[in-house]
This record gives sequence, C-alpha cells and structure tokens, in this order.
Amino acid sequence: MKTGRRCMLSSLTWLVCLGLLVSVAYAETVYVQAKSAQLRSGKTSLSPTTVTVQFGEALEKLRQEEDWLEVRTSGGVTGWIFANKTTTTKPSGGDSGLAKLGQSVRQSEATPVTASTGARGLDKVSEEYANRTGIPKQYQATVDRMTAYRLADQDVEAFLKEGRLGEYAK
Amino acid sequence: MPNKLARSIVSLLASGMVVAGVLTGCAELQQVAEGVARQTGGEQAAGLVRGGSSLASGLLPIGFEEEQSIGAALALQVLARYNGVYDQPELTRYVNLVGRAVALTSDRPNIEYHFAILNHDSINAFATPAGYVFITKGILKQIHNEAELAVVLGHEISHISEKHILEVMQRSKQLAGISEAGLAATGQNPAVFKGLMDQVTKKLLDEGLDQNKELDADRIGVIFAARVGYDPNASVVLLQRLRTLKGDDQAFFKTHPNFSSRIEEAQKGLRTLKQPLTGALLAGRFTQRLQGRL
Repeated sequence: MKTGRRCMLSSLTWLVCLGLLVSVAYAETVYVQAKSAQLRSGKTSLSPTTVTVQFGEALEKLRQEEDWLEVRTSGGVTGWIFANKTTTTKPSGGDSGLAKLGQSVRQSEATPVTASTGARGLDKVSEEYANRTGIPKQYQATVDRMTAYRLADQDVEAFLKEGRLGEYAK
Repeated sequence: MPNKLARSIVSLLASGMVVAGVLTGCAELQQVAEGVARQTGGEQAAGLVRGGSSLASGLLPIGFEEEQSIGAALALQVLARYNGVYDQPELTRYVNLVGRAVALTSDRPNIEYHFAILNHDSINAFATPAGYVFITKGILKQIHNEAELAVVLGHEISHISEKHILEVMQRSKQLAGISEAGLAATGQNPAVFKGLMDQVTKKLLDEGLDQNKELDADRIGVIFAARVGYDPNASVVLLQRLRTLKGDDQAFFKTHPNFSSRIEEAQKGLRTLKQPLTGALLAGRFTQRLQGRL
C-alpha cells in the first residue's frame, strides 16, 4: 500500500516536472517595440498601469486576446500590453552588430537622457561646416530651434488618445 | 617630430577617406583627401593616401555623435536649398505630434526626431541622419488625411532608422574609413568633412538614394504608421493621387522611383503586412489642423 502511494507520488512529481519543462520550452518571448509601453491590469487602455516597460525589453507571452497580449516581465510582473507595441524578434534599434561594437567603444549612441538633454543642433563640427559653406545664419538658427523643440511623450500619448489611435481605438 | 606625427595622422585619415571614395566611386572625395594630405604632408603624403586602400577594414563604424554632426550639416543644406522653414507654430506642432507618434513605435525609437515644414511648393520630403525630417508645404497641400501624413513621415523616419544615408557612405566596410576620417577631420580638418558632406548632399538632394532603399522606405514607413493605428492603405492612395497629378515623370521626382513602381511595391507590401489592413484616416482632424494655415 505504502509502495503504491510512493509510486503514485513519484509519478505525479515527474508529471509536474515534465509539465513545467514543456511550458518552459513553449514559453514565447516577445519584445517591446516602442520607446516605452504600459503593462495594464486589463486588456483596455482604461485599465490601470501595472508597470512601464522599455524598448527592447523581453516579455514572456502568456496568452493573446484580440489586440492585447498578457505578458510577464523578467521581474515577474504580469499585465496586458497592446500587441502592436511588441515584436517576436529582438529589435536592434537600427543598429547592426558592427555599429553596436562601435558604440560600445565610443559610448556615443544617444540614450534617452542624452538625446533629450542635448538641446543644441549644431555642434562645433557642423557649425564650422556651415561657416565654411557660407550657409546663412538663419538656417543655422533653424537647426538649433528644430533640435531644441520638445514634445513630451505624454503629449504624444494624449494626441493618440484624442485620435482614438492604437490601444485607444476601442 | 610632433609635426611629422601630425602629418602621418592626417595622411592616414585622408587614406581612410580615399578608401571610402574608391569603394563608393567618389572620385571627388578621393581628390579632397589627396588634397588635404598634399597640403599638410606634401606629395609623399598624397601618394600615401592614394595607396592607402587597406586602411578601412580595421576601423570602427559611425557613432551617434558623428551621426549628429552629419545630420545637422545635411539639414543645413536641405534648408538652404528649400527656402528654409514655413513658420507656422501650430502646424509645425501638429506635424511633430504625428511624426513623434510614428517615431515612438518605429524600429529606432530611442533617439529624438525633429520635424519641420519646408517653405517650398515642390512635392517632396527629406530625412537626414540623427533624426531630422523635412516635409514641403507642397506635399502637405496634396495630403488629404492624417494617415497619409503618417506614411510620408514614416517613410522618412525609416531612412533614419535603417541608416540609409549612412549606408551610402559606408557600403560594407567603407563606413569605418569615413567614420574615422570624419571623426578626426571634424576636429582637425574641416576641409575633409566639407568634402564628404558635399558628396552626400549631392547624393541626397540631386541624385537620390538607391531606388531599392526608397521602395524599402515606402514599405517600412507603412509598417510604422500601421503600428500606431493608421490605415496602411493611405500610402497607395496618396501615391496614386500624386501619379494622377504629376504622372511618372522621372525628372520631376528624380530622387525617387516613379510612382507606378512605388504603387506596385506598396501593394505587394500590404499583402504581407502583419498589422490589420484597416485603421484610422483622421481626415477631420487633419483638415481642422491645416485649415487656414497653408
């Protein structure tokens, strides 16, 4: 009797382990394909945000319902993300492996911080170029103005909401 | 001794330029590099430059700092050629909002993008590296809704995300040569940088990028716009309208493939699109934002 119970317990343990292995093997990874995205507690844009995820972050896909995916972050937080903000292939951010090598050496690719704080358009090099080429000052000032022009991500989000675009469509 | 060292450095850097020139077929670029070497190191240095074709392979690609210098320099050329910007703050904000929305879900959302309207009646749009996007007043007048604006801006954003212009400079391993030469030349020899920019300006504004890159930009631009939720069919509709207006006149649209090829490729792209073939057009918002401002 005891041996039978032990045997059943052992089989159950193996089955659970097998199940876990299968689920790990079939866990699908998706990546964030947007500068940032909100994971929400429900599959609507009105649901509260559980966490904000960043471009390129890997997420474990749990299931899909219509335009929304239920996912889990590496930190174990689960939530729903609008499917259009994900991709199944790891995004490179427009950089090939070779370019990344260059960046890692020079550390010169823009991070969100440097990009948003580097307000001046013309650096010493392009300013020198403008002067050598005889490009009028007014155009130099225009590039400076263009570069300094800022829109907060929240403004863009409000704009999308107003237009009922993407996750705000329904 | 330091003088000799400096000459050697300039010669080596100019060699990098000439390698790029050889590989891209830019004879003028080679002449610039040789000229620079000649001025600083005499005939011997110029000879070194001519023979320096093995230099590029070990060097590094363009980083964002250099990309910014290149992008800003080319932006100046676009502004000078196309009569500067159309100064309408509300309209500029609107174009920036649409552009930013598309850029935020593009394949390169982690840099800043800057959008401006050119005070020019031609039908065109441009992108320069590091996020500068220009759209003419002329093309805005032909656009009927926000989805069409989004695909035009998406096209330009994809030139930046795919680094098409930098690729022109690069062609496989040449990137390294131009990068290092450009990097050093920027601080030490603006003539080299100017020579390089003159070549790229010619390619961007007069000759145009490779036709395949333009067709790629059409396809990718639609994907970017569709990710936001815009109707991806807007691209084909706009191209058809422009063909009706201008025909397939290559001289008119000399920097892009003709409209018929673009329409055919755009239709193929729609058939393989992952996103739904429906989406928002937002004609009302577009008309409202443009009303009385063009």
